[in-house]
Amino acid sequence: MTAALRIARAEWGYWRHSRLLLAALAVFGLLLAAIAVLSAARIESEATRRAAQQQAAEQAFTTQPDRHPHRMVHYGHYVFRTPPPLAVFDPGIDAVAGQALFLEGHRQNSAAFAEAPSAAGVGAFGVPHPALAYQLLVPLLLIALGHAAFAREREAGTLAPLLAQGVRPGQLAAGKAIALGAAALAMLLPAAGLAVLAVAHGEAPAIAALQVLLYAGYLGLWVLAVLLLGALLPRRADVLGALLLAWLATALVLPRLAASHAVAAVPASGKIAADIALLEGLRNAGDGHNAADPAFDALRRQLLAQHGVERVEDLPVNFRGMVATIAEERLTALLNEAAERRMAQERAQSARLAAFAWASPTLATGIASRALAGTDLAAMHRFQREAEALRFEFVQGLNQVHAHALRYADDIQRSVDPEAERRTRVDASHWRLLRAFTFEPAAPAARRDNASAAGAALAAWLLALALGLRFAVARLRP
Amino acid sequence: MSALLRELRLLARDRAALALLAVALLAAAVAVASGLAEVRQQRAQLAALADADRREREAVAAQQADWGSAAYYTFHLTGAPPSAFAFAALGLREHGPWQHRVRMLALEGQIHEPDAGQPEVAVLGRFDYAFVAATLAPLLAILLLHGLAAGERAAGRHDLLVATARSGTRLWLLRAGLRIALLAVALLLPLAVGSMLEGTAGAVALVAAALVTAHLLFWALLCRWLDRDGATPPSTQLMQGVGAWLLLAVVAPAAIAAVAERRHPLPEGAAILMAQREAVNAAWDLPKAATMQAFVARHPEWAAHAEVQRPFEWKWYFAFQQVGDEAAAPLSQAHREGRAARARTAATLAWLAPPAALERQLEALAGTDATAALAYETAVRDFHASLRQWYYPRLFRDLPYAGDELAQRPTFTPPPG
Repeated sequence: MTAALRIARAEWGYWRHSRLLLAALAVFGLLLAAIAVLSAARIESEATRRAAQQQAAEQAFTTQPDRHPHRMVHYGHYVFRTPPPLAVFDPGIDAVAGQALFLEGHRQNSAAFAEAPSAAGVGAFGVPHPALAYQLLVPLLLIALGHAAFAREREAGTLAPLLAQGVRPGQLAAGKAIALGAAALAMLLPAAGLAVLAVAHGEAPAIAALQVLLYAGYLGLWVLAVLLLGALLPRRADVLGALLLAWLATALVLPRLAASHAVAAVPASGKIAADIALLEGLRNAGDGHNAADPAFDALRRQLLAQHGVERVEDLPVNFRGMVATIAEERLTALLNEAAERRMAQERAQSARLAAFAWASPTLATGIASRALAGTDLAAMHRFQREAEALRFEFVQGLNQVHAHALRYADDIQRSVDPEAERRTRVDASHWRLLRAFTFEPAAPAARRDNASAAGAALAAWLLALALGLRFAVARLRP
Repeated sequence: MSALLRELRLLARDRAALALLAVALLAAAVAVASGLAEVRQQRAQLAALADADRREREAVAAQQADWGSAAYYTFHLTGAPPSAFAFAALGLREHGPWQHRVRMLALEGQIHEPDAGQPEVAVLGRFDYAFVAATLAPLLAILLLHGLAAGERAAGRHDLLVATARSGTRLWLLRAGLRIALLAVALLLPLAVGSMLEGTAGAVALVAAALVTAHLLFWALLCRWLDRDGATPPSTQLMQGVGAWLLLAVVAPAAIAAVAERRHPLPEGAAILMAQREAVNAAWDLPKAATMQAFVARHPEWAAHAEVQRPFEWKWYFAFQQVGDEAAAPLSQAHREGRAARARTAATLAWLAPPAALERQLEALAGTDATAALAYETAVRDFHASLRQWYYPRLFRDLPYAGDELAQRPTFTPPPG
């Protein structure tokens, strides 16, 4: 162990004498710190802003004046997707997914106003966030620092004497790994800081720790890869070229290639096509605005029989409200079916992506990272489902008010008789049926499970590289 | 000539260089193929939608008995088909909507509806030609061109070679020129094939090729500058080159985006929707005359027909929809102007970062940039306005319903791409 530490110290001494490496260390350190601070500030202000918008939307709803309950069904409500605590580290889909979702009767809208379409759109990476910096950029620093670890000794003729002095190849590799690993750990400090910040904002400590561990594993993987190629290839220029190509292929090219492949392999039909198909089905489900629609004949017969009356006017409930309730229920079943189909399609695309995780540790890390942070596709679907549950709940609540708090006779006259119209306006206290909404990330265990497959790919890479390094070091020749 | 042949022979023996050129050719070919597949899928999707939309509109028209219901229930498909060069730079078509179905209700409640792609795919970005040319190609150029002189010096051939070639610059020009020319060919060949398959205008394809080549020359000059004294070790130059890529392809574009976005803040999107919703819904609680007064103030041509007698009339309904749009108009316009201003600032500053500049130029040529997205949005707004113009005389003058006239409704024309 002391021999390994001596070698590590010598490696650090070599870095200290290289202006280029010192500059690289300083630039990366500053860059990571700056990205971490900017990202934390941005996400925190976003979280505060969206929470305030959510409150304002709830207040706007509950303070509406007396009116016909169906007007409130169309007045609708907004929910906002607030970013989870770990979004300060990995905002994931936040920039490309809609933030505000309008909830109203008879429709399921999509979340609107994503940042990306209105962003300035400069460069291929947008405004980098900490997770992207770790996935894409920090490996470059490790390559710069470590590519010469063995080749430098070889080219300077110091490798042979070292081995002759009785330093075992394993000790030599361990020393180099300690030196490079320490640099990786130092670079992880901003990530650890953000993880602590996330815990302070309510993230489960175990998940935050797992997130840091994930990136430690990813950087460890690059440490191993740098040393492996360094031990295998004779000249430092060859090592550097090979490492850069490996980085280019796995970190830069494969994730995008996977994205292009995913959409080509599972073409999405799009929301408009689904909407049109729905409208067709809808004509058979019945229009809830029109109680004379033949689709509601069965309901009419059943209600009349149940209450032993001849005409809908004599029912103790407002037939129109009952129709609205049943229609919303039938329609929602159709809408949910379509939404589930679309979500299944999106999950299939993500599954295609995930297959590439075995070829690209960068992609694997990104997938696991978004899953842990709660900023992945599953989180978006969770938001859509929770928003839909809220929509159905308040719309049906209002439809119940429609069925029980106003008379059918007034209801059918309200378009022509102003007095009847006035009587159909119910008391505004009914609007308090709206439940408060806060979007929370999934339970820690669920997020951990979502991250496990990609995490396994990463672990497999780590193991393979460790074995490869052991093999290469055992054969290390001057 | 013999010098060129010698360089060609040297290059033919350089397996690493040949491998890099093959990587460039492969990357460009894959990017073009995937771009072609994507735009074809978009066109097929639009065509299928147009069909479904027409059938749906006919089915709806058959059920209507008055102008108001026809306007209320009929959706109209709008879409911007990809241009003949869109395959090379998918740009904003990935994030922003390029198809909408609108009806005569308040437009602000409809036009912000996204038809967004899968978010996890969007986060990663596509492997399109613009990415290959702007982001990947500089790295390949650096790998191919770094330390040409220093490498010779290390091999002890430098002085001899310079002596036979008479000048170091000439030698470098020959050697680097050959490599960069082959890299350009590897990158441009797939683009040429893609352009021919798509029928891209020759001028567009040529400008794109010139831009890609100029961008490569920039990186070649950078490599020459790093290699200026022929003494810096090649591996050091390689690291410096990658550092320059990091600065110009990642850090500088991010800084430019941050500047553009900070200088032109946008009104909150949700505020637009809320303003529109409040105005539209308030109309149900206001005296009808108040709404009609607000409407007539902006549209005096309907003053003589603005009286509402029954609790519900379609002309009142559509008037308050338009009043709702007008309530949200200042915010909505500020949002559009902000986006346009961001694009302008970014375009000006992008020249500080050649990869960003190339990407933007390719997207502009492809009609997939913010300007094109705004042009499409404007076309949708104009179309919606023309629908109002078509229905208003029939609604306000209470013209008798004639279902066969519905076929004469305006149709959407996409903006010229």
